[in-house]
Amino acid sequence: MLGLGVERLQADINRLLASLFHQGVLDEQFLQLQQLQDETSPNFVYDVINIYFDESEKLLRNLRLLLMDREFSDYKKIGLHLNQLVGSSSSIGARRVRNVCVAFRSASELRNRPGCLRGLEVVEHEYHYLKNMMHELFQLEQQRLLAAGVRYPM
Amino acid sequence: MTVEQNFEALDQFPVGMRVLAVDDDQTCLKILETLLRLCQYHVTTTNQAQKALELLRENKNKFDLVISDVDMPDMDGFKLLELVGLEMDLPVIMLSAHSDPKYVMKGVTHGACDYLLKPVRIEELKNIWQHVVRSRFDKNRGSNNGDKRDGSGNEGVGNSDQNNGRANNRKRKDQYNEEDDEERDDNDDSSAQKKQRVVWTVELHKKFVAAVNQLGYEKAMPKKILDLMNVEKLTRENVASHLQKFRLYLKRISGVANQQAIMANPDLHFLQMSSSHNGLDGFHHRPIPVGSGQFHGGAPAIRSFPPNGILGRLNTPSGIGVINLSSPPAGMFLQNQTDLGKLHHVSSLPLNHNDGGNIPQGLPLNLEFDQLYTNNNNNNIRNMNNNKSITGSSMAFPSFSTQQNSIIGAPNNNLVVLEGHPQSSPPGFLGHQINKRLEHWSNAVSSSTLPPPAQNSNSINHQFDVSPLPHSRPDTLEWNNVSSSYSIPFCDSATTLSPPPALDTTNPRAFCRNTDFDSNTNAQPGGFYDTLQTRQSGNYCPTTDAMLSSSNPKEGFVVGQQKLQSGGFMSAEAGSLDDIVNSTMKQEQSQGDLSGGDLGYGGFSSLRTCI
Repeated sequence: MLGLGVERLQADINRLLASLFHQGVLDEQFLQLQQLQDETSPNFVYDVINIYFDESEKLLRNLRLLLMDREFSDYKKIGLHLNQLVGSSSSIGARRVRNVCVAFRSASELRNRPGCLRGLEVVEHEYHYLKNMMHELFQLEQQRLLAAGVRYPM
Repeated sequence: MTVEQNFEALDQFPVGMRVLAVDDDQTCLKILETLLRLCQYHVTTTNQAQKALELLRENKNKFDLVISDVDMPDMDGFKLLELVGLEMDLPVIMLSAHSDPKYVMKGVTHGACDYLLKPVRIEELKNIWQHVVRSRFDKNRGSNNGDKRDGSGNEGVGNSDQNNGRANNRKRKDQYNEEDDEERDDNDDSSAQKKQRVVWTVELHKKFVAAVNQLGYEKAMPKKILDLMNVEKLTRENVASHLQKFRLYLKRISGVANQQAIMANPDLHFLQMSSSHNGLDGFHHRPIPVGSGQFHGGAPAIRSFPPNGILGRLNTPSGIGVINLSSPPAGMFLQNQTDLGKLHHVSSLPLNHNDGGNIPQGLPLNLEFDQLYTNNNNNNIRNMNNNKSITGSSMAFPSFSTQQNSIIGAPNNNLVVLEGHPQSSPPGFLGHQINKRLEHWSNAVSSSTLPPPAQNSNSINHQFDVSPLPHSRPDTLEWNNVSSSYSIPFCDSATTLSPPPALDTTNPRAFCRNTDFDSNTNAQPGGFYDTLQTRQSGNYCPTTDAMLSSSNPKEGFVVGQQKLQSGGFMSAEAGSLDDIVNSTMKQEQSQGDLSGGDLGYGGFSSLRTCI
């Protein structure tokens, strides 16, 4: 039973990943991230992605606060936040999030408020989509490990 | 070190290289850290620039390389870059999510040795050690001449951190901390003399000249001159020696058929020259004809300069700053220096830059000279082709300033610094002036065909005999002759280089002219800076040739023209350095090629600004 479960789960994981790649949600950088995971850092991907989520959510929250402000004018700050988002997203291979952040950044450089608001919406959407996918991936992974008899460190 | 040893060191080196990674983005920092560990580097991370600076300041030798993000909340990455470069002289790689060329340019101008784009790929990180090696090579070349007592040979990688640290400190501090006596004093271990030397500033000299003129050249006696000048703390001895030099100077320039040359700044010229003479015993022996009072081109005078000036103390940081043109003829000067105490006139002039007391005094002199020099030099260069006489003076200046550099300790550094300063951060700014100076030198040296000098004083005498030479050749070549003539003294025994029969291959130690800059083009600043540093050591001459030619063939080096031979000495080592440099270059390139298409990351481009 264990063996079958593992294979099935593994297949599910692969399918999910393939789909994400296909949609452009993830790219090769994510693969590199996976390659960095080994015996010495067995939860590397999980850890990094979690850090990414924490940081990104903070950034997104700040961005929203900034843009919601009627008297908003600090586009530079938006630019800085976005820079960080672009950097971290591209580092983990979140291609779509990165791309929409770049678009958002362009709008902020043009000081286009409505453009920025739209940009923010899109980024938030993409981000949440990615987060959901990642959660699903991790769940599958966890199940697979359990099925393979490996204790998943919590 | 043999070639094999060098290669071995290189092989092991990237492993364990200590990297400090700074990025406020935790995600990227974590990934970067892991990637770096995968490359077998030793990684320290921090997400705050301030903390990074603290870590670096705590112990400069604790890290080999710094990788820093550009956009950080607590401190701008470029600022950190500058500070690290300034204080610690470590190679810094910039990291950014922005591929804006302006940022990249800013990185370059602030001295970053590379600019990577996020996401960082491991292939790129595998190559970053090259920056450490490169900067060590450069530092070694630079410090080698001046750091002989450390016994550092052509050790690129294997060189001790201390050596680098010291060289780094020296260079950086000399460049940026003009008042940093401390650093210099630390390194000027041979400085035992603490006499107060009189610095003959332009003003002072003007007074002197006015007094002499007033009294009448023939009748000018030190005591009377002193009275007329009415300057405090000036002793009769000071004046006497200055007078003697003045007379020598007049004699010298009157012996040259060069018209006009330094007419514009006879005072300046004299001062420059005289300061270089200080250490020369030879001068004492020469007959001093009472000159015509006309100042001709300074070239011949310069020729007699000898290395005295130049050397100064190779082992002191002072003369070695950016322009190490002055370093070569160390031997001669060192010899003379021991005799310095005996020469009364010496004591009155700012000879020894080891002398702590000199430093503040020397400043005005050099600063002024620097300005005048560069102005003149630039003018001269422009008029070069039109005005023969000017070329003579243009030749004069280069040697002067460099000689002065060494002679007048700290001020020399200032002199160098003034010009080198912009270079220190990112090449390209003043590189011009230095370029031109070097051009002169290198051109001069390369085409000289003067007979080898027998000895110090004899060679000086020869100079005068040779004086007509400058005029026998047209335009640009004129300089070559003029300046080449003063290469002769450098080929003195002290420098241990056999005087070349044809000065085409001149003692590289004399003038660090590894690169024969095309007079009409300025070599690429970055490369220029490197070459300046590399010039310091005669050892490296051939190597730098190779390095320069391999690193940037576009620089217009007429490398072939000048076969810098280090008198046969270092050729073996140079060869090995060449090999290493070439091999590292090749490695870089091949790795660069790999990284290009390897994982095919869509749209990721890493900008190599420094290869």
